[in-house]
Amino acid sequence: MSEENLFRLRVAYVKQGRLRYLGHLEVLRTIERIVRRAGLPYAVTQGFSPHMKISFTSALPVGTASVCEWYDVYLETYVPARRALASLRKASPADLAPYAAGYVDLRAASLSAALTHAAYRSTLELNDASALAGHLPQGAPSVGRALQILNALKAHGCITYVRGRKNKKMDLVNTLDGAMVTEFVREKDPHSHTESLRAPKPGEIGDLWGLALVTRSSEKGALRPEVLIRAWEKALAFWGQAGNHGLGAEEVVAEILAEPLVVEPYGVFAHYEVTRVSQQMETKDGKLVEPLPRPQDASGR
Amino acid sequence: MRAAYEDLFHLIEPLLQGVEKPSRYIDHEWGALSKPDARFRVCLVYPDTYEVGLPNQGIAILYRILNAQEGISCERGYLPWVDMADAMRSRNIPLLSLEGAAPLASFDVVGFHIPHEMAATNYLETLDLAGIPLLSAERGEDDPIIIAGGPSVYNPEPLAPYIDAFLVGEGEESIVEVARELERSRDEGLPRAERVARLARIAGTYVPSLYEVAYDSEQAPHGHAVPRADSGAPAVVYKRVIADFSATDPIAQSVVPYTELVHDRLSIEVLRGCARGCRFCQAGITYRPVRERSADQIVAAVARGLEQTGYDEVSLTSLSTTDHSQCECVLDRLNERLAGTGISVSIPSQRLDSFDPELAEAVAGGKRGGLTFAVEAGSQRLRDVINKNVTEEDLDRAMRAAFEAGWRRCKLYFMMGLPTETDEDIVGIARLADHVVELAREIVPKDQRGGVSVSISVAVFVPKSHTPFQWCGQLERDEVKRRQQLLLHSVRSRQVRVSYHDADVSLLEAVLSRGGRDIAPLILEAWRRGARFDAWSEQFDLDRWRDAASACGIDLDRVACEPYEIGQHLPWDHVSPGVSPGFLEREYRRAAQAETTPDCTRTSCTGCGICPRLGAENVIEGERK
Repeated sequence: MSEENLFRLRVAYVKQGRLRYLGHLEVLRTIERIVRRAGLPYAVTQGFSPHMKISFTSALPVGTASVCEWYDVYLETYVPARRALASLRKASPADLAPYAAGYVDLRAASLSAALTHAAYRSTLELNDASALAGHLPQGAPSVGRALQILNALKAHGCITYVRGRKNKKMDLVNTLDGAMVTEFVREKDPHSHTESLRAPKPGEIGDLWGLALVTRSSEKGALRPEVLIRAWEKALAFWGQAGNHGLGAEEVVAEILAEPLVVEPYGVFAHYEVTRVSQQMETKDGKLVEPLPRPQDASGR
Repeated sequence: MRAAYEDLFHLIEPLLQGVEKPSRYIDHEWGALSKPDARFRVCLVYPDTYEVGLPNQGIAILYRILNAQEGISCERGYLPWVDMADAMRSRNIPLLSLEGAAPLASFDVVGFHIPHEMAATNYLETLDLAGIPLLSAERGEDDPIIIAGGPSVYNPEPLAPYIDAFLVGEGEESIVEVARELERSRDEGLPRAERVARLARIAGTYVPSLYEVAYDSEQAPHGHAVPRADSGAPAVVYKRVIADFSATDPIAQSVVPYTELVHDRLSIEVLRGCARGCRFCQAGITYRPVRERSADQIVAAVARGLEQTGYDEVSLTSLSTTDHSQCECVLDRLNERLAGTGISVSIPSQRLDSFDPELAEAVAGGKRGGLTFAVEAGSQRLRDVINKNVTEEDLDRAMRAAFEAGWRRCKLYFMMGLPTETDEDIVGIARLADHVVELAREIVPKDQRGGVSVSISVAVFVPKSHTPFQWCGQLERDEVKRRQQLLLHSVRSRQVRVSYHDADVSLLEAVLSRGGRDIAPLILEAWRRGARFDAWSEQFDLDRWRDAASACGIDLDRVACEPYEIGQHLPWDHVSPGVSPGFLEREYRRAAQAETTPDCTRTSCTGCGICPRLGAENVIEGERK
């Protein structure tokens, strides 16, 4: 069947809960299986090894959750978007469920090229908040210092990090548009495994940080939250070491980035979770819009 | 007190970011079954990683069957890879089931699949991680009952002290009988020893604690198991065979994994059993009789299975799928049905004597990847000895057809160390490989010859129980190495790639295949010295086993290589797939004379004795060619 007769269905889905530990290829394969289970009339590529015509947004790292992933699947016949969405939801594990679907122009730019703006939220559990606070320069709220490091990283311009056997360079000047840190105190219910968060009272030290990142990607690359977070953590750990308290944030960053960053824990965060919270595209006049012009939302998201 | 059945996922979740392939441990797959409020809980464990174990059809079948039972819940367990196992151990986190993330020790029954001999240390690793005593004799009233079954159950003695009961043969019916009996005896409040002993009343169940080891003579170091007086246990436990194979659900799988697997596709078991009668092959005896599903049942199952799972490939599985009397018709119907969907059909392998390029193309979705054929031996004489009924003409014809139809790559499987093998047979392997390269040179156009590749893979013969070669010893390790060198030097063409199995691994496989209950302490000692995942070459280390053997006073080479005498009791005599000892002996003698025996699904009964013993018969849908 020729290209022009196809229908390009754009679908939004989440990646959350335990399924955030899936790797990108695992997600792709699973979604293709969801489309087949849903019984949609998907189009198939020509050639020796025919496969489903489908394209995805950029990879999410293992462990990163999202409430805004997308794919475009090409259909041979028109299926009302609401009905397609209902079939897909029925065929999908809850933690990878689609929540919106609608048709887009066959000539529209690909998702991976068009979605240039992404925002992330991260919750970071501090290993030992009070000890950390003790290590940081006297009198400064730890969150304020943490923000200084983030600004110093941005001012530094890029992070060279180790990936496999190679060194990679991640630009921050053109990718990090904004960062914000907030502090929380956790209140745990000892009977269930649930917990609630609140802002710290005056003088109280938080045991969780919330990090919000606003990012932008181009053909030159995108921001990888886990690389930024580990650089940030390494800087905080370095600053906390005896004898380093008097250094300025810029000096700390220059010091820890003097060698390629190994992306691994540095002892400040016991655990963290990252969620991609929005992916948007930029119109010609510079406005940020969602990937579906008028989301034909069938689920009441 | 028994460990509480509770969800402990929060204990392993913090470890997931730091281990390889976290998707092995997260469950929540499509089609996973669970019953939070069952009265009786079984956890079926595959003794290897998730991605190795998940495709296993045996566990998939029993998982479905048990979960369909009122009041019974069945979950899955796998052995965490070494990184995760070490992380869990150092934090005192017990091994968890997948669906409920509950401690294995909280289940009523833990059931192991026994895929092959090399998983031996992994049962101990699993039990240890689960906090369950390794030895049956040391388990208490609150510990789960440990059962085991699977293709490699036909010499259970090396595992006997670790397993409370073995289920021999097809488990579709017996797993339910065993579960129900254990539920009843638990509710009656019977002591553990009596509950386990009662299982021996269920046909096909071997309860090792009811047997003791007897010795014919000093020359029989491994002994053989006989029922204890007044135990009521049968002298021979015959395998179970299900009443009607065609009445079982052809779709075994329910779980669709996220993790990429080796066999990541829908599998439909189109036929069970093989009567070709290769004399080295254990499955060829233990899966008899031969039973085919009808073409209609297969085609309908493929359609329904694809709908349920969303897979893009379906494999028609069996020991020898092209032997199915309706194979071509099934493939034609499926290819017609699946045209334009991007979904392909595959079959595990083709036989040389029936190779059909059109068929090969039909199953590869038009792709021409590599072809693999099992030739097994380098001369006609030796192929007659092992009753592998393929000829050099078959190889010639098949390879000509393949090269003419556009195939360029092929892999030929052989064995080394077969009974009566001489240097001439080894040189014969090289000659066959060189001949295939010559054929390619003759047929393949000059500009495409660069793509031609012929590889031969040579395994070391491991004598298996309940085969005509069960009395044979393995070829000594030094001689294996000499013949491997002979083979390497005999290959003339540089286009032939030779690979062979590690002689160390084969030696241990033979020890675990041929030994008796006396081998059990060796497994424990090796595990204590760090042996686990021995089926993974990167983890296997013969030195650990050699150390363990000397600690146990066991001579590995002797156990592997010393032949048994005909007439002598064998360590596995009390567990039987139903084959008559006279048949195996007759086949052994015919082998020595290089006399072949035909396939009973194509000619008449060859007298293996399995059908009358088990009260079953071959079921062939059409006419076999």
